[in-house]
Amino acid sequence: MKLPLNIDVQQILLHLFNFAILFAGMYFILYKPVRKFMDSREEHFKKLEEEANSLVEEGEKAKEEYENRLKSADSEINAKREVAGKETFAERERIITAANEEAANILKKARDKAQSEHDRIINDAQKEIAQIVNDATEKIVLRSDLDTYDQFINASKKEEIDE
Amino acid sequence: MSKKRIIISAVIFAVIIIGLLVGIILTNDPNKVQEETIQEVMQDAVLHEHLKVSLFGLKDVNPGLIAGFIVTGVMLTFAIIVRIFVIPRFKLIPGKFQLILETAVGLFDGTAKGNSPHKYKLLRLYMFVAGSYIFVGTCFELLGIQVISTSGKPVTLGAPLSDINGAIMMGCTTYLFLLISGLVVNKAKGFFGVLKDFSLPISMSLRLFGALLSGALVTELVYYTKYTSYGLPVLIGIAFTLLHALVQAYVLTMLVSIFYGEATEVHEKKEKVKKVKKNKKELSSEV
Repeated sequence: MKLPLNIDVQQILLHLFNFAILFAGMYFILYKPVRKFMDSREEHFKKLEEEANSLVEEGEKAKEEYENRLKSADSEINAKREVAGKETFAERERIITAANEEAANILKKARDKAQSEHDRIINDAQKEIAQIVNDATEKIVLRSDLDTYDQFINASKKEEIDE
Repeated sequence: MSKKRIIISAVIFAVIIIGLLVGIILTNDPNKVQEETIQEVMQDAVLHEHLKVSLFGLKDVNPGLIAGFIVTGVMLTFAIIVRIFVIPRFKLIPGKFQLILETAVGLFDGTAKGNSPHKYKLLRLYMFVAGSYIFVGTCFELLGIQVISTSGKPVTLGAPLSDINGAIMMGCTTYLFLLISGLVVNKAKGFFGVLKDFSLPISMSLRLFGALLSGALVTELVYYTKYTSYGLPVLIGIAFTLLHALVQAYVLTMLVSIFYGEATEVHEKKEKVKKVKKNKKELSSEV
């Protein structure tokens, strides 16, 4: 078909055929692989960014948790210190009480022992005194008997002589 | 570079230039008559009525179509080489060539997303291929590859889109692409939205044709006269060609992007606010 300005429909179609081949070829050979690589790289870096973000988030969480722990540790330490103080005080009281009790016991025992010793000594002393008195009485008695006897003998002897 | 080396290089360059000028003057034949007038050259550059090239003996076609095939061949060969030797060696941190390729592929991402935020993947592909074709096709003009026309005269292959048939193809394909995209995304509404801009393919085709042809015509004019065909083409040929290759690729891709955005724009249905008729009693109570 001949048109003005040398326009030829067949040549237009040939140009279109040429352009279609170019379009398909460029798409499959060049555009698609390059675009695929660019997309995969974008995906790769997006993934890396996400990982980095999640790591940062995790780090922040850990930091927060650590700070919370520090705070709770402080309060825990205070509570424990308080409990320990109370326990120490109670233990001290207990020890003092026990010591006092023990001291009282020791004192009591000592007193008892001293009392019993005292009693024993007194008893012994009494017994000894009684013995001494006994002995002394006995001696006195016995001595007086001897003296009388001697006097009698002496007197009888004297009389005999006199006679 | 040492001073001595600079002086030697400058002397060699000056000798070559002087030699060329002497050659031009000595080979000038004052009796020679131009075979074609400038009018004929210009007319043929626009219409290609006489200088046709045989397409494998099947049909006589404009040189622009042959240029189109060569450009496609060059681009696909380049793509295959890149696919085989470069893409498998791509690294996460790109080298220079990888960076150029990635920049070229991702060049239209921003424009496509900006103009059509909800649907842009196909658009950016179309922009990439069409933009590359226009740019490489226009730069192809710089090579000045010559083929033998059916009349036996050599003809220089220009940009594929400086052929009116190529420009019409690009304009109509773009329009068809917009129509189909509008139909797929917004059904009939999108289709008719694009259809009402029926002047779009004509304007796109003629603008492309005119813009690319003007570059070719200026170059033809410069080369027609012997004395302007030395030195001046460096500025006219290369700078102008590169400039309008960039500008035309940019303009077409921008236009496609804007029209595509309009065609595939998702219209949210507005909920109608029902007007509640108030009773007279309620009105009087409010008063």
